[in-house]
Amino acid sequence: MESTLLSLAHGFAIAAEPTNLWYAFLGCLVGTLVGVLPGIGPLSGISILLPVTFGLNATQAVIMLAGIYYGSQYGGSTTSILMRIPGEASSVMTCIDGNAMARKGRAGAALCIAAIGSWVAGTFGVLMLTVVAPPLATIALKFGPPEYTALLVLGLIFLAYMSSSSLVRTLLMACIGLLLGMIGIDNMTGHFRYSFDLAELGDGIGIVPVAVGLFGLGEILSTPSHKIVGEVISPKLRDLLPNRPEWRESMWPIGRGSLLGFIIGIIPGSAHIISSFLSYALERRISKKPEEFGKGAVAGVAGPESANNAASTGAFVPMLALGIPTGPIPAVLMGALMVHGVSPGPQLVTEHPDVFWGFVASMYVGNLMLLALNLPLVGLFVSVLRIPYAYLYPLIIMFCIVGVYEVNNSTVDVWIMLIMGILGYLLRKFNFDPAPLVLGLVISPIFEQSLRQSLIMSNGDYTIFLNRPISLGILVVCAILLGLSALSFVMKGRDWRAQLAEAEAGES
Amino acid sequence: MKLRADHVAGAAFIVFGALVIALSGDLPMGQMSMPGSGFLPKIVAVFTMIFGLALIVRGSESPPFTDISWSDGKHALMVTVITAAGTALYTQLGFIITMTAMMVALLVVIERRNPLYAFGYSAGIVLLTYVSFEYLLKTPMPESPFTY
Repeated sequence: MESTLLSLAHGFAIAAEPTNLWYAFLGCLVGTLVGVLPGIGPLSGISILLPVTFGLNATQAVIMLAGIYYGSQYGGSTTSILMRIPGEASSVMTCIDGNAMARKGRAGAALCIAAIGSWVAGTFGVLMLTVVAPPLATIALKFGPPEYTALLVLGLIFLAYMSSSSLVRTLLMACIGLLLGMIGIDNMTGHFRYSFDLAELGDGIGIVPVAVGLFGLGEILSTPSHKIVGEVISPKLRDLLPNRPEWRESMWPIGRGSLLGFIIGIIPGSAHIISSFLSYALERRISKKPEEFGKGAVAGVAGPESANNAASTGAFVPMLALGIPTGPIPAVLMGALMVHGVSPGPQLVTEHPDVFWGFVASMYVGNLMLLALNLPLVGLFVSVLRIPYAYLYPLIIMFCIVGVYEVNNSTVDVWIMLIMGILGYLLRKFNFDPAPLVLGLVISPIFEQSLRQSLIMSNGDYTIFLNRPISLGILVVCAILLGLSALSFVMKGRDWRAQLAEAEAGES
Repeated sequence: MKLRADHVAGAAFIVFGALVIALSGDLPMGQMSMPGSGFLPKIVAVFTMIFGLALIVRGSESPPFTDISWSDGKHALMVTVITAAGTALYTQLGFIITMTAMMVALLVVIERRNPLYAFGYSAGIVLLTYVSFEYLLKTPMPESPFTY
């Protein structure tokens, strides 16, 4: 514990450097704007802005990108409360009671409760990350290729199980991602795979063109400007502070949301979306006045907002400690670290302590910055909401092209982005969630290498996965999850995932 | 039998899986003790086909194919064409000319905005971005034959 505190102090020294503070601030500001603007989610925001960080060192880059990530969780609540349009998916639940509070003249209080809840949950999440990640990394050092293979399979199955779309659809998307990840030179044999004599494809398909295409351009293609309409409720600055009963009603939901969100965040899947839904359901279930939910219940804002912020932080635990992304956003952040020559995983804490502890400490600072940013600047964010979408999306397309091109100075990457944009558009039409595709693309090289290394180690004997206790344990969990999925498939029951899908469809 | 959305999607994934297997023809499968470069791609392609088949089997639960709304299709097509033109010309004409022209085209052709305002807005944004990337972020942008 003492060494953790010393390392954290070292991290604070790094985070407090003026340049790092500047990038944390910039990330928080841009992230809040990304969250505020309908149509640009955190994933597309991070993907589009990823190339901007290439001129920075690894610590500055990850500090800025993480700022964008948790900033967008904060920002998403503003549009939800003031316009009843979720800036991003995890704010869907906040729309319901947040906007109802705004219509009752309590917009300022709703924004304040959301901001305070987000800050408490974010800080709680970072505290837990500080405590949990280093020991987990020590345990992960005992992992060999079979354990990693089993863990990655678990990640995919968990994602499929937790996803609001069906198991088959999620696994299909993951398969497409895995196949895309196999394009390029095979690291173990040197064979060129599916590169069609294009030298640019030798290194494989990058995560940036795929993520920007699927989420940035794909979203724009399926959103004509006439569909973006909405009335903005402008809160008055003097009404920003909640009254005494509102404080009282928000305290426990913030606490419960923080804990629930962090736990769900560690689990693979679209954690921040699921956590806000589960927190809302929990608050409604234990409330003494469940009939108030949907009509402006304070707990309906405080719980989900806290949960989605704690989940965003929780998602960093497996990414930093195990090198395994639990969702598409950590996957893109992992890709960003790799671009800077830093491989997240058990050795990150020992090999790159500046990056790890600087990042952790910057999150404490970033959460404070967000609190300071969100409340006084609410007027500015409301003004941003008034920029016509017709003027906004050409600008986003320009940034998509510039961002993708600057990664490798390659127009092939821009063409890939365009193809992925069309694919993203078509996938939306057929009700597929493209997020597992990005996850599949990122884990594909690690998965293939660990699977083949395991088979080489065992001389082709598949039982190596069953003979080692850790991988056996992980595979048993996989089997249980598949069994549970099969059960709901057979019973055709309407479980919480179906309710989540319904809520998302209803609000988006 | 009514053609459903999942029937079409499932068939597309089966075709895609088959295409991957066909393209993997020259990649060695290897042995279990030493898997080759074609080992995992072929396995994943087979899984893609199986899941595609599962979609078709459960296709009756999905909406009819004709119910899919393509009202945004024209917008998507026009954005794609203009973006593709911008991509093709990006390294030929350079950042400033290509991106200004692309943004003007998006605003005037698709959004029916006043060409003068559209040009002013696009040129302003593009110049600001150019200065930010070139001088603040020290990231060189593609230059045109006219050196900007």
